[in-house]
Amino acid sequence: MRDRSVRALGLVVAICYASFIVWLYVRQPQTIAEVTGGLSASVGAYRIDQQAFSDGLAAFRGEQYEAARAAFERADPAEQDARTQFYIGYSYYRSGWGRFYNDDAHFKLGLDRVDKAIGLAPGGRLLVEDPDIAIHNADELRAELTAGLRTEAADLNPMRVFRRRK
Amino acid sequence: MSRERRGATEAVYLPLLFLTVALLGGLRVTDRVALVPPPLFALVLGMLMFGVLVRGRVLAPERLMNASRSALENLNGLAVILATFCASTQIFNLMIPESGLPFLLFNVFLFVLLLNTLAGAPDRLSVLRSLAVVVGSAFTLKFIVLAAISDPGGGALKRMLLALLDGITLGTLSQTPLHAATGYVAFATLVLFLAGLAMLPPPLRHSVALIKSDQ
Repeated sequence: MRDRSVRALGLVVAICYASFIVWLYVRQPQTIAEVTGGLSASVGAYRIDQQAFSDGLAAFRGEQYEAARAAFERADPAEQDARTQFYIGYSYYRSGWGRFYNDDAHFKLGLDRVDKAIGLAPGGRLLVEDPDIAIHNADELRAELTAGLRTEAADLNPMRVFRRRK
Repeated sequence: MSRERRGATEAVYLPLLFLTVALLGGLRVTDRVALVPPPLFALVLGMLMFGVLVRGRVLAPERLMNASRSALENLNGLAVILATFCASTQIFNLMIPESGLPFLLFNVFLFVLLLNTLAGAPDRLSVLRSLAVVVGSAFTLKFIVLAAISDPGGGALKRMLLALLDGITLGTLSQTPLHAATGYVAFATLVLFLAGLAMLPPPLRHSVALIKSDQ
């Protein structure tokens, strides 16, 4: 009887361990927080830190983007929440936006986060209802960042200095 | 070995050990941690290695799965067989350099070596010894010799000699520098793999007893 229990338990543990290894190879987490967050997200138990998210949102609205990103990172350490990742991407967009030229490094980081947000959103569709931002759609933000990274003849148009940050 | 101990080895220790090897086989520590899936050729080499293990009686599939065992026991046996194959594949993923000329040479060398072993009729002990030598040599070449060649640090003379070597080999020799931790993890993984192979249940010996009729 004991042998049978050990064998059954061993089989279950081996299947769970093998599934965990496959998950690790697919998701490539970088920190323990990402591992635990990813696992809890896969069973629908992942929650962000609401207080840190509110702090991040307040800093974002006050145009303190570095501080906002720090708070958002704290709110979503496992990088599993699409909305928080969207705001981090948006903060990179605003940090990198310039009247004469954009900061490519910030735009690239922003693009990574927006891609992550799109990947996390159900069906890849993410809408953020926030009256304080001009871009509510992750696809639109992605297009804005991609366009900012592209070098084209329109970049030389002097009228560009009159464009508005979104 | 008692029935219960054999059951624990088959159901718990061996699958977990080989799965750990499969997990660590793709681990690369550079400025970030990455888990690299095996290249296609590692699957081919893994299959050949699996063949060598069966032919050399290191792995006896009939001991792990047969009609006289219960369904649960056969499932445990299947888990061991699959985990052994995964670990064999990941061992090549670990031992083979990432790119360039060493990648090609290691692949060809290991392919020929495994084919040669497969063509012979080695016994269990010979196969285990031979694998220890192959695995140890590959580890030394990749994590000590090639790592030293690819190390960007060092004095001016070393950098000059390396630049010369790189020029001669058209830059195909040096590899992406890995963190020292990768080497230590690789060593532990290879030791685990060899220990797992040694723990696999040996084949049953069939013997015939000759008894005189009057005794």
